[in-house]
Amino acid sequence: MANTLTQPATAPPWRGELRAGYLAMLPLWLSAAPFGMIYAVSAVAAGLSPAQTVAMSLLVFAGGAQFIAVGMVAAGAGPLAITVTTLVVNARHLLMSASLAPHLRGVGRWKRLLLAAQLTDESYAVGVARFLEGRGSAAFQIGCNLSLYTIWPLSAVAGVLLGGAIPDPAALGLDLVFPLTFIGLLVPLLREPANRLAALAAALLTVAGALWLPGSWYVLLAGLLGSALGALLARNRGLAGADPTPGGAP
Amino acid sequence: MTIWLAILGMALVTLATRALPLLLMRGALPTWLGRWLGFVPVAVFAALALRPLLVSAGPEPRLVAGLPLLAGLAGALAAWHTRSVVATIVVGMLVYWGLRLATG
Repeated sequence: MANTLTQPATAPPWRGELRAGYLAMLPLWLSAAPFGMIYAVSAVAAGLSPAQTVAMSLLVFAGGAQFIAVGMVAAGAGPLAITVTTLVVNARHLLMSASLAPHLRGVGRWKRLLLAAQLTDESYAVGVARFLEGRGSAAFQIGCNLSLYTIWPLSAVAGVLLGGAIPDPAALGLDLVFPLTFIGLLVPLLREPANRLAALAAALLTVAGALWLPGSWYVLLAGLLGSALGALLARNRGLAGADPTPGGAP
Repeated sequence: MTIWLAILGMALVTLATRALPLLLMRGALPTWLGRWLGFVPVAVFAALALRPLLVSAGPEPRLVAGLPLLAGLAGALAAWHTRSVVATIVVGMLVYWGLRLATG
């Protein structure tokens, strides 16, 4: 942090971190791009103008909420109903943002705001996994965010331009890239017994929440209670768990 | 005009959910809270990974166990051995496409 102000002979380390985060998200472009285009096609079909369609991807930048909003516009819902629904759908971000706080203790207000503004499920996952490895940084997380923030609005532009000439990504199974990414991040953490307990509790809560709760409440339920159970069980059994202390200064 | 209002409202509440915890939780956190939050990523990963593999989308969700779940298990094996997200995606997608071809 301090040495970003000095004049180093080589590129400052944060630039490499930013780049590494950006590149780490590239596999996710494979599924983000077709979904961003499908969103745009359905938005235009629902009556949004091309400018509104792209503006929503730029300003809201939240796939699930955008698809739901488009459906609500098509059904004639008003701005207030759409806003409240978005709040409910995106409430899970509260938990993700909070869980980054212990890792960003030395980071100032504006950098935190910049980092938080584009936090998504996928970029949070890749960024926080890096923190859990002890190699994370604010710059890496921002790089992850910017990577999706590049492809998501661009794909909306492409969707507006290409219209209906776009294959359904779900028909190709490309929607599987998202869960596979989370599996790739989760499974290596399962070598720690305490993490296994938290993941097992979260898995059960996810199935129950997905079956019986509306929308994306299952993420909040499993994220809050699964982690609490993991922390409690780990303490009672004296297990080492995920270490929330920051590995390297951001 | 109402659509622009909706976009503005969505943008504001989404920014609030993303930024408020990080802006408010400054300085050292209590030990118990830090321990709790330390397990949040694992729990969130499990939730986001398993929901699409185990429960069907749509208005009437139910438990499913199909090709996506098998592809997810193959991906999990790859993740255990390689610790690589890219390898997990490649193995999972190849298994998925292979099974789809094999089962018609």
